[in-house]
Amino acid sequence: MKLKILIILFFLNFSVGYSGNTPVESQIHKNLRCLVCQGQSVADSNSEFAQTLKIVVSDLIDQGKSEDEIYSFLSEKYGDWILYKPKFNYENLFLWAFPYLVLVIGGLILVYLIKKRRNNA
Amino acid sequence: MLSNIGNSLLFLNIFFGFLIIHYSINFLKNSNTTIPKKIYHLSLLQSTSILICFCTLVAAFLVSDFSLITVYQNSHTLKPIFYKISGTWGNHEGSLLLWAIILTIFSFLFLIFNKNHPKNFRLHTLIIQNLLILGFLFFILFNSNPFSVINPIPKEGLGLNPILQDPALAIHPPLLYVGFVGSSIYFSAAMASMITNYSDSLFAKSIKSWVVISWTFQTLGILVGSIWAYYELGWGGFWFWDPVENASLLPWFAMTALLHSLIVLEKRNILYFWTIILCLLTFILSVTGTFLVRSGILNSVHTFANDPSRGIYILIFLSLMIIASIYFLFSRYKPTNNYLNSNSKETFVLINNWFMMFYLITVLLGTLYPIFTDALFNSKISVGPPFYNSVIIPVVTVFLILMAVGPQVKWIKNKFTNIKSYLLIILAALLINFLIFYFFKSYSITSNLIIISSLFLIISSIKDIFKKTNHFPRVISHLSFGFLIFFIGLNHNFSIEKDFNLKLGEKKQIDNFQFFLQDLELTKYPNYQAVKGKIKISNLITSEERTLKPEIRIYDNPQTLTYEASIRTNFLKDYYLTMSNIDRSEYYNIKFQEKPLMIWIWISVISLSLGGFLSLFRYAKYN
Repeated sequence: MKLKILIILFFLNFSVGYSGNTPVESQIHKNLRCLVCQGQSVADSNSEFAQTLKIVVSDLIDQGKSEDEIYSFLSEKYGDWILYKPKFNYENLFLWAFPYLVLVIGGLILVYLIKKRRNNA
Repeated sequence: MLSNIGNSLLFLNIFFGFLIIHYSINFLKNSNTTIPKKIYHLSLLQSTSILICFCTLVAAFLVSDFSLITVYQNSHTLKPIFYKISGTWGNHEGSLLLWAIILTIFSFLFLIFNKNHPKNFRLHTLIIQNLLILGFLFFILFNSNPFSVINPIPKEGLGLNPILQDPALAIHPPLLYVGFVGSSIYFSAAMASMITNYSDSLFAKSIKSWVVISWTFQTLGILVGSIWAYYELGWGGFWFWDPVENASLLPWFAMTALLHSLIVLEKRNILYFWTIILCLLTFILSVTGTFLVRSGILNSVHTFANDPSRGIYILIFLSLMIIASIYFLFSRYKPTNNYLNSNSKETFVLINNWFMMFYLITVLLGTLYPIFTDALFNSKISVGPPFYNSVIIPVVTVFLILMAVGPQVKWIKNKFTNIKSYLLIILAALLINFLIFYFFKSYSITSNLIIISSLFLIISSIKDIFKKTNHFPRVISHLSFGFLIFFIGLNHNFSIEKDFNLKLGEKKQIDNFQFFLQDLELTKYPNYQAVKGKIKISNLITSEERTLKPEIRIYDNPQTLTYEASIRTNFLKDYYLTMSNIDRSEYYNIKFQEKPLMIWIWISVISLSLGGFLSLFRYAKYN
């Protein structure tokens, strides 16, 4: 509830408060999902939600928060759904590890095929 | 009236399908080695009638026959003729009809263009392809019938989603469908090959040109989709790793792997079962993509109307295909001698396949993972661009270098004699990379690696052009791929983005740019109204001046607001600007981007697919 009020306050201040983004900010915006849109990031969206979130982000930066701190702050409020880069945790371990596992296994199969040839020769 | 014609034609097609299967099975036992005229005629009739069926639907859209639900839901009398026609396949039902057309026409073409292959192999391909056709025709007829009627007949249609009213999106589906629906024919041929024991080099020859055709069109289809996303969706990017984009990329990876392993099968008679797996996989992935998009199981920017019953039908169809594939693979599998030398062209082709499988599995996993976490842990996560970029990009670096070395390697046994020239190429790549960041801007280590490795591929491919080689199509495609990654790398690193608010008459200076919102004007068009902004952009360093005119469009049918980007393209860079209104405020939100070398990304992909066309021409010439 507190956050909602905060957001509304932000929003009323919008035209004054928001005057352009820095590269760090646009980097962060790109990694956040616009929750009210269909598959768009905050950076790409024109929605009110996205506009508001941009202000929240720039405010957090002003408070001296780092990029990672901002992500964890926002995912606490809105859930992991908002982050385009999934966290590296137990639930997502398979997601992060499996592609490389495939790469290693594929490599081993190749080596095996080549070795087999040597034994035959 | 049109509804009756359409439905009758659908029934007629189902009848032809059964008839072809019936006769083909009869002729299998016949000792005659040629396929009788009857089957050719039936197949031709089948293609003609499905085309007429499709034309009936186009006609319904043209005359705005709102007695058909599909026309009512996706068209409007005031819509321009061009979009009335493209509206035919801009919806679920109509696009399925396009599926059926491509399945049928490929079936016919495969039949008439493979006369020098054995009768039983061709008949089996025909039977399996017709089973696929029947599967889709039943789906169309009983679940997604474009000729379903509505009563009472509405006076006016609901209109086509404005963002779909676009020339690029009009040609995007047909191109893409020739690509991934076209892959059905080598799915059928692979099955037939296992059943009839028609394997190895000859089998590779029979499907080669079909693989190249589908790969070429798939590439172009993906390109046109990206171009559309770039100028229509208003975020200035061209690839978002959206589930629907991924769905088109998955079969592309499988096709690319297949394209390479086919060369080995043709030349060296090895990797037969692996090639078969890739044939089956490509079409299975195509259907999987369709399932993901049409069932609405994933959250995506492409919102095709969702309906669970469609999903279930496609899922059953898909499962049957997978079960049949696995059954035949296991029952027909014979251990083969895969003689491989670590330093041979075969090995390098396998390395290509190895990387393609890595990309494929990464993208597949990333696309499906949110569904799993939702089901298993009850947690909703997003897998977006940062994931794919951080997993795939480091691997692409190695891939590009191997892609440059691979084609030089000889069959069976190779010796590296030209290590010196590779060293020179690496030096040249390093030097160019150094010059780029010395004169412009430094970038991250990963970006450095990407640019160096893409330059390595570009330079080696250019060197190949001057060598006497008969692999010109391959050189063109590899070179283009190098350029593609190179330009994407530069574009990514040198793009400038500004996001700010401006009101009428206001000037704002950000870094070395000055923005001035000079004018806003309201214009009326037949099917929408537009607020056009006039924004002057001055670069204070180069004193360049541009005026961009972004639009906010208010469409009437259906009532929608869209934001039209204003784009100025030249050979060096694109200026990209969108403007959107902010509620309860006189300010407009402006997103400005300077995107260097944008047009070269498109050109690279066009020339990538050009390699495909060239190899088709060459193939046609020699056969």
